[in-house]
Amino acid sequence: MQSIATDPLTTGQTAVRVTNLAKAYGDHVVLRDVSLEVAPGTVTALIGPSGAGKSTLLRCMNLLERPDRGQIEICSHRIDASKAISAKALAPLRRSAGMVFQHFNLFPHMTVLRNISLPQQRILGRSREEADTKSMELLARMGLADKAKQYPSRCSGGQQQRIAIARALALGPEVMLFDEPTSALDPEVGVEVLEVMKELAADGMTMIVVTHEMGFAENVSDTLVVMADGGIIEQGDPQRIMRDPQHERTRRFLRAVLER
Amino acid sequence: MNTIFQDILDYGPALLGGLRISLALTGLSLLFGTILALVFALGITSRNKAFRWTSTFFVEIGRGAPALVLLQLMYYGLPNADITLSSFTSATLALTWTASAYMAEYIRGGLAAVPGGEIEGAQALGMSQQDTLRYVTIPQGIRIALPALMGFAVLLFQATSLAYSVAVPELMSQAYSAGSSSFNYLSLFIIAGAIYAAISIPATWLSVGVEKHLAKHL
Repeated sequence: MQSIATDPLTTGQTAVRVTNLAKAYGDHVVLRDVSLEVAPGTVTALIGPSGAGKSTLLRCMNLLERPDRGQIEICSHRIDASKAISAKALAPLRRSAGMVFQHFNLFPHMTVLRNISLPQQRILGRSREEADTKSMELLARMGLADKAKQYPSRCSGGQQQRIAIARALALGPEVMLFDEPTSALDPEVGVEVLEVMKELAADGMTMIVVTHEMGFAENVSDTLVVMADGGIIEQGDPQRIMRDPQHERTRRFLRAVLER
Repeated sequence: MNTIFQDILDYGPALLGGLRISLALTGLSLLFGTILALVFALGITSRNKAFRWTSTFFVEIGRGAPALVLLQLMYYGLPNADITLSSFTSATLALTWTASAYMAEYIRGGLAAVPGGEIEGAQALGMSQQDTLRYVTIPQGIRIALPALMGFAVLLFQATSLAYSVAVPELMSQAYSAGSSSFNYLSLFIIAGAIYAAISIPATWLSVGVEKHLAKHL
C-alpha cells in the first residue's frame, strides 16, 4: 500500500514552491527574489503589465530559463538554481510539470497522434499501443478524435492548443503551467481553450496560468498574483483584488486592462 | 544530324553502361556523404573540441579543395603512401568527401533553422537531449535542408564526370573513348550532355516539387 506520508500532495500542502528566485539578463533584472507557493488543486493566475516577469517566472519553474539564484520545488522535486543542475534532476521535475505555450510548440512533422504518443513512449516507456490508446482518450475528451491522423498545420489555432494540452496531460503531470495560452488566438477560438482549462481546474488540476484574460483570472482562479517590475506586488483572492486593489501599480494596471 | 543518330546506335549501349556507373558513383557518394554530413554538421556545432576540430577540418578541406584535386589525390597521390585504391573506390571516396563537406553546411543550416519553440516544446515535456535531437531537431532540420540537398545531388551527379580523369569508365569517359574511335567528338559530347541533362533537369524539378510540398508542413 502506498504510504500517505510520501505523497507530496498531502505532506507539503504545496504543489509548487518558488523561493527567492532571481534572474537577470546582463544588467537587466527580470526577477528579483520572487517567492511563491501554490497549494495543490488550486488555480493561480499570474497577471501584470508586459515586462513584469510573469512568463520568465513560469519558464524558470521548469528550467526552460535558468534562474541565477533561488529554489524551485514541484511536487517534492527540488532544484537549487545556484548549483549545477543535472539532467537526472531535471527530468522528474519537468515530467511533473506540464507546459502549454502561447504558440503551441507542436511538432509539425508528426501527426497529431504522434505528437501526443511519442513523448509518452520516450519518457514514460509506454508501448506504442498503450500510448496511442491514452492519446485517443485525451483527444476524444478535447473533442478532437477526428484530427488524430492530421498534421498540426491542418488544425486551427484553438485545436492546436488543445492538442498541446493533451500532449502535456498524457504524461500525467501533477501541475500544469500555461504561458499565455490564448494570446495567439482569436477571441472566439480562445474560448474553446479556456473551456478545456476550466474543466481541468474543475477536475482538481493544479494550474499556474500567465494570462491577459481577466475574466478567467477573476472567475476561475483561486489565487491572483499581480506582478510588476520583476516582483510580486500583490496576491490573494481574485475578486477582492479586482474590486479593491491595495497597490497603486495594481490599480493602474487593472484600469488600463479593463478600459481597453 | 545523321552522324548523331548513327553514333547513338553505335555507342548507345556503351554510353548507357557509363551512365550506370555515373549513377552508382552518385548514389554511393550521396549515401556515405549524407551520413558523414550529418556527423560533421553536429560536429561543427559540438561543444566537444576534438569532435568540432575534426569535423571542421574535413568540412573546410572538402569545400576548399576542388573535387578534381581530391580525386587525383586519392588515385595518384595515395599510392605514394602505400595505399592503392581502385579508380572507382578512389572516385567514391573523393566525391564522398566533397559531398559530405557541402551537405554538412546545408544540414547545419537546416538544424539551426528549426524553430526554437519546437525544441522548447520537447524540453518542457522532459525529453532528453538525445531524444530531442533524434525526434525533433534532426528530422525537422533535414526537412528544411532537403531542397538544397536535392539540388546538390544534381550537381554531384554532374561532378561524377570528373571521375573520367582517374579512369573510371563512367558516362564522360565512355563518350570520350567513343569520340576517339569515331572522331565525332561533337555529336558524342552532345549525346553525353543530353543524357546528363535528361537526368538532371527532372531531378531539379523534383527538388522544387519537394520544396513546395514540404513548405506545407513547416
